[in-house]
Amino acid sequence: MSDDIKNQVRTFIIENFLFGDERYPLDDTLSLMENDLIDSTGVLELVSFLEERFGISLSDAEIVPDNLDSIERIAAFAARKKQAAG
Amino acid sequence: MNSVRPFAQADVPAVAGMFQRILRNVREPASPDLESYLADIFLGGSDGDITSSVYLREDGAVAGFMGVMPMTFLVRERLVRAAVCGTFMVDGYRSDPFAGARLMRAFLAGPQDISLSETANDISTIMWRKMNAAILLGHSLEWLCVFQPASFLTEMAASKAAVARILSPLARPADALLRHINPPAWRKTASPQRALPSADTDDETTADLFIRFTESFAARPHWQNHLHQMIAHARRKALYGSMVRRVVYARNGEPVGLFLYYGDRGRIGRAVQVLAGPGQTGAVIDSMLADADRRGLTALRGRTMPVLLEAMMGGPFLFLNASSSIVHARDPALAAPFLSGEAFFNGFAGESWSRLIGDRFG
Repeated sequence: MSDDIKNQVRTFIIENFLFGDERYPLDDTLSLMENDLIDSTGVLELVSFLEERFGISLSDAEIVPDNLDSIERIAAFAARKKQAAG
Repeated sequence: MNSVRPFAQADVPAVAGMFQRILRNVREPASPDLESYLADIFLGGSDGDITSSVYLREDGAVAGFMGVMPMTFLVRERLVRAAVCGTFMVDGYRSDPFAGARLMRAFLAGPQDISLSETANDISTIMWRKMNAAILLGHSLEWLCVFQPASFLTEMAASKAAVARILSPLARPADALLRHINPPAWRKTASPQRALPSADTDDETTADLFIRFTESFAARPHWQNHLHQMIAHARRKALYGSMVRRVVYARNGEPVGLFLYYGDRGRIGRAVQVLAGPGQTGAVIDSMLADADRRGLTALRGRTMPVLLEAMMGGPFLFLNASSSIVHARDPALAAPFLSGEAFFNGFAGESWSRLIGDRFG
C-alpha cells in the first residue's frame, strides 16, 4: 500500500515539479523545499492532488514540511490519513 | 509550529512593516498613520467571521498576511457575503512556500459565498487558479490613453529614474508641435466642444450616483453605509495626484455618469471609477478624457470592466495586463454574472478606493 502511494507521489512530482524529467536524482528523502522543487503554487497543487487522489482532507495545521517535504514524508502522511479515514 | 490565525491588533506593527518592505519596497519604518489605517481597514470593517489572517513562524513572528475586506453583494437580487482579498504578502516566500499556500487555503475556506481579488499579481494569480478560481478577462486589463506622447515617455522614464524629469522642458514643445501636426485621435470623437459637460460634485451626490448607475448590474455591491466610508477614504491618493470627481450631464441637464480620477498637470493620471447610465458609457469616457487633457495630464490610465471595454473598442487606447481580477465561488451560479461580464466589480467594488492603493502615509 505504502509503496503504491509512494509511486503515485513520485509520478506526480516528476510530472508537475520536474516537467517530466526523470533524470533528476529524486531520492525518497530529498527535501523538496531545500532543493527548490516546490513553491507556494506547488504546495497547493500537491495538497489538491493528495485530497483528490487519496480521498483525504488536509487541515491547515497538517500543511507543514514534516508531512510534505519529501516523497517519503508525503507517502507516510497520506497512508496515515487514509488509514485514519478507514 | 507554524500556524495561520485571524489578524489581531497586536499584529499591526509587524504587518505594517511587511507592507512597507514588500509592497511599497521602501526601507523607512512604517508610520503610525499606516499602522492606524491598516487596523482601521482590516480590523474595523470585519464582518464577524470573515477575517484577515496572519501566518506565524515557529518563533511567533508574523511572516505572512492576507488582508480581507468583507462586502455584501447583490447577485441577481440575492444578498450574499463576499470577501475581497486586498493585501496578500509573505516575508521570504521563497524560503517558506507553505506560508502563501496556507494563507490562500485559509482564506478560501472562509464563510463567504464569493471570494474576489481585484489586482492579483502573477504569483497570486497562479495560486488562485490552482484553487479553481476564474480570471475575469474583461476586468483584468489596464487601459491607457496618451495625450502628450513626449511628456508621457518622460514621465514613464522618471518613474524608473527621477533624473529623467530634466527632459520635461524639451518634451513640452515637442508635444505642442505634435499636437499641431496631428491632433490627438481621441479628439475626433471627444473634442472639448463635443464632449458632454461635467462639474465637480460632493460626497452625497457621488453616493447617490453610485447607487443609481450600478443598479442595472446583475452582480453589484449592496452599498449600505460602507459607500460613504469608501468615498471618504478615496479623497486622498497623494501618490497619484489631486482628486478629480465630476458628474457628467446630458444636454438637458440630467446626470448621465460620473468619473473619478487622480492626477496633476504633466503627470500620468489614474482613473479609479467610471459610472454611466445605459448607452452613455462612451460619452462619459469622452468627457473624462476631455477633462484630463484640459488639465494638462500627459496620459490617463485605469482598469477595464466589460462595459468600459466595449465602449473603448476602436478608440485611442492601449491595453495591457498588469494584474488579474479573480472570482471564486463554491456555487457556480454566484460566479456566473462575473464571468458573463454582468458584474460591477473593481474600483469601489474592490480595493482601489482604499488609501493603501495610491496614497502616502505620514
